[in-house]
Amino acid sequence: MNKRLALRYAGRRLRRITSAGELRVLALAIFIAVTAAAAVGLFSDRMRGALEAQSGEALGADLLVTGREALPADLADAAEQLGIQTLEHLNFPSLVLAGDNTALAAIKAVSPGYPLRGELRIAPEAFSPAATTRDIPKPGEAWADARLWSELGLQTGSQVQVGNLKLTVSAFLEYEPDRGVGFVDLAPRLLVNRQDIADSGLLGPGSRVQYTRMFSAAANSLAQLRKTTDLPPALRWITPSEARPEVRQALDRAGKFLDIAVLAVALLAAVAVALTAQQHGERLRDEIAVMKCLGASRAFVLQAHILSLLLLGAISTLLGLLAGYAGQAVLANLLAGLIQNLDLPAPALGAMIAPAGLAMIMLLGFAAPPLVTASGTPPMRVFQRSAENSGSTSVIWATASLAVLAILGWQTRELELGAYVLAGSAAALILLALITWLLVRSLTGLRHRGGLSWRFGLGNIARRRRRSIGQAVALGLGLLALLLVSVVREDLLNAWQDRLPADTPNVFLINIQSEQLDPLKSFFAARGYDQLRLWPMARGRLVELNGEAVTADSFEDPDTQRWINRDFNMSWSDYIGWDNKITEGEWWGDEADGQAWLSAEEYARERLGIGIGDRMTLQFGPEKIEFTVHNFREVQWDSFQPNFFLLAPPGVIENVPAQWLTSFYLPRDQRSLLRDLMTEFPNITALDLEAAMNQVRSIVDRLVQAVEFMLLFTLLAGLVVLLAAIEGTRGERARETALLRTLGASSRTLQWGLLSEFAVLGLIAGLVAAATAQGIAWLLAVQVFDIPYGLSPGLWLISTLAGAGLVMLFGWLSLRGVLRTPPTRVLQGA
Amino acid sequence: MTAVEAKALIKDVNPAQSGGTNLLHILRGVNLKVNAGETVAILGGSGSGKTTLLSLLAGLDLPSQGENWLDGQRLNDLDEDGRAALRAGRVGFVFQSFQLLPGFSALENVMLAAELAGERNAESSARQILAQVGLQDRLEHLPHQLSGGEQQRVAIARAFAGKPRILFADEPTGNLDTVTGERIIELLFELNRAQGTTLILVTHDAALAERCRRVLHLRDGQLHEQEQQVA
Repeated sequence: MNKRLALRYAGRRLRRITSAGELRVLALAIFIAVTAAAAVGLFSDRMRGALEAQSGEALGADLLVTGREALPADLADAAEQLGIQTLEHLNFPSLVLAGDNTALAAIKAVSPGYPLRGELRIAPEAFSPAATTRDIPKPGEAWADARLWSELGLQTGSQVQVGNLKLTVSAFLEYEPDRGVGFVDLAPRLLVNRQDIADSGLLGPGSRVQYTRMFSAAANSLAQLRKTTDLPPALRWITPSEARPEVRQALDRAGKFLDIAVLAVALLAAVAVALTAQQHGERLRDEIAVMKCLGASRAFVLQAHILSLLLLGAISTLLGLLAGYAGQAVLANLLAGLIQNLDLPAPALGAMIAPAGLAMIMLLGFAAPPLVTASGTPPMRVFQRSAENSGSTSVIWATASLAVLAILGWQTRELELGAYVLAGSAAALILLALITWLLVRSLTGLRHRGGLSWRFGLGNIARRRRRSIGQAVALGLGLLALLLVSVVREDLLNAWQDRLPADTPNVFLINIQSEQLDPLKSFFAARGYDQLRLWPMARGRLVELNGEAVTADSFEDPDTQRWINRDFNMSWSDYIGWDNKITEGEWWGDEADGQAWLSAEEYARERLGIGIGDRMTLQFGPEKIEFTVHNFREVQWDSFQPNFFLLAPPGVIENVPAQWLTSFYLPRDQRSLLRDLMTEFPNITALDLEAAMNQVRSIVDRLVQAVEFMLLFTLLAGLVVLLAAIEGTRGERARETALLRTLGASSRTLQWGLLSEFAVLGLIAGLVAAATAQGIAWLLAVQVFDIPYGLSPGLWLISTLAGAGLVMLFGWLSLRGVLRTPPTRVLQGA
Repeated sequence: MTAVEAKALIKDVNPAQSGGTNLLHILRGVNLKVNAGETVAILGGSGSGKTTLLSLLAGLDLPSQGENWLDGQRLNDLDEDGRAALRAGRVGFVFQSFQLLPGFSALENVMLAAELAGERNAESSARQILAQVGLQDRLEHLPHQLSGGEQQRVAIARAFAGKPRILFADEPTGNLDTVTGERIIELLFELNRAQGTTLILVTHDAALAERCRRVLHLRDGQLHEQEQQVA
């Protein structure tokens, strides 16, 4: 038997694919899995390519040192001695005023020569043709980027105010090479001259300045510099390969979600493939027996059928790759906002190998084994339908399990994550099967009640109990994917949003000096804000623990070392906010005034290993104070209220230099208050949280959109599983229906019988899916997101109705042809 | 030359397969010798074991005891693939339930048999033989688009497509009405005569059996020969 004949036969089979509904479903499942994998794979590959291709230009230099504290003065000298070009610039957030408009901007103050690598591009007016320049803004001038231009309604020559600094906008900043190192750079940019900053009053204590020194030289000089420089722990080196940490981080996180989505699609598709291949294998048995009668060997039969499967898989894969190519463009488009100045290379064809490999794993792991079993069908089956080979199902299971592992290894970059998803799916599957089994069993009592259609429908479920359970589990799996994508996600998002009251503060004022307290209170009282709570803040450094000196070296954990090296922002109060929960000890009252007690956040306990009664000595400038830990708190850090790791009672740290801060909710129509505030108190920095929150939200929105786009595939894969489960019984139902019709059952009775069977199966699947989805959502809410999550009756209702509705719809669509076919044709086996 | 030979064939079916508890003795020592070009009918009632005998003679199954030969080859020595290879091109089948491949057109069904028989011009000979059975206009039809009689004609065309030396027919008219059945039988015998094929036909229809040169009765698991004249 030659291979060409096998190929011809495979080709012929493929052309008749319409006659085998299950093959269409199989092809669809592979198509969806490949599309999802290719979309994410190609997109990730482009991102990786773009990030790897970054040169020093992404930093504006070959090396940076950056940190929140002033850089050591000798760093510049050391660099110059090694012949390294070097420059320093500052970066900080500040409110910019222009006329009546305000915007939170990232101010970058640069010196001549900036940037050391790459060039700035500016234009005389917004969006007019830009040209490269080696200049920087002259003193008294500023360059604004497109966002700031539109947010403030700028024109060339507009006056803007930053702190008490008044600047003239002299150019439109189209491009800066080192845009985007750190979160603050997601805000619009105002580029100013470093000289101006000294007089601006913006750099007082408590300001959020990022100091950066740039270096440019040959690699060996830079290596020499890094070797000879002992950098304080609060500062760090950044090389071009570490540039764009925010992009990396965001994409990393998105990448994980996208990977999980693809994994879910692949696993669901695998279920659909396995189901359909099983049905296909069964259907092929008669055909294989005839072929063997005609003289075909098992090898030929196997070759021909595997070939036809591979051909079908190849077509699905090819179409999936094409669709995936389009999908990656959608992803790139959705995430484009995160990727400023990052030139994405064209999708590499090499990245299509992995999705194609996934298709191959699915074909060989899930689709081929039932065919191998079927190929052993003895030719005797032409006379005796019950004749079957003793093909063991354990081989099919073993191959499928190996294939699942292969998919995990293939599709997840992190094996641990993959293992969690797998364990979760397995647990969900077992749970689904268990609940379904219980529900199907409980139907027995209802079997003998009701009308003929109902009894016929319910009887079908009970008669084929094992198959019914399998079907309901498959349906439940599909529905579970649907629920997790749509309802549960919405639930979790709402639960998260509900945590923040409507009057959550949106403005923070920092840098308030003690002598400004009274005038500031009057300023706010005059505008109707008399409940303003001001928090003092002093910066202290931990020097002793229980009387023994501590430094970073006293701790081994790098996180603790970094934490200890920073100054603690400490406050004192007899008030504790709703977002603080005492976890041990008790909050203090008036009796605590003047007592050197300490309330510490749980993080401090974890890091320092302290307990109640332990003593912590903090140094504030020249003054040392020893505190005794009185209680521990857990702070909800995302409450948008001022919060502190360490709190003391009033009257202990009074003589230490302190600044004050406050936060309040400013309605949108009262934003002019900020302008008055800046004029009256130029040194106070107002942080517009709304702008910051909106930026974060827009990033999250884009990520969510990207993930949602991928979850769409999960949803489709779920529907395919559903389809596969229904198609699976098509032949058997067709025969039964035909038989019953010849026995005199009316089409109407049969139709209602089938519909009631599907409705019950759908209800069961829906119930089971709802229970599992709620379980998963609860786990996610409590364990991962730490938000309360209760039973959601809507979910149960939607799930059961959707289950019944979808199964009835798909069942009806799948079987309406059967109901119309003359029974003789069905019974003749045509 | 001997086309088919069986010596003391015994076929038992074990209780697990038959659903009962006792071993079923379907065939109890069948002896048979069919010469090339002969037409032989095996007559028997329902459950007499005639289909079992047919499947043993064609090498679809192996006997519990005894030995048999097909086209001079001892089947007991061959595994399933070996027996399939022996059938390819030498043996044709006509089944009661037609057994056409549902996804294949009439032409493709016939072509496949010719191809498996190693026929070089499978398509043209398939077309030719389909024309002989009067289906030249139904070549691209799928089985379910054909009537029962047409399906059986495709099956006959398929059986003769590989120019077999031996043809096994199992109740070929069992699923057809009398008129169509007669036409099918005419066709079968006509092609058989034209190609000089050895025909072994299993039926419960005595009139159909009469058309064969030899008639054998299968009773109590054994064959009894009845001499008769060709009509």
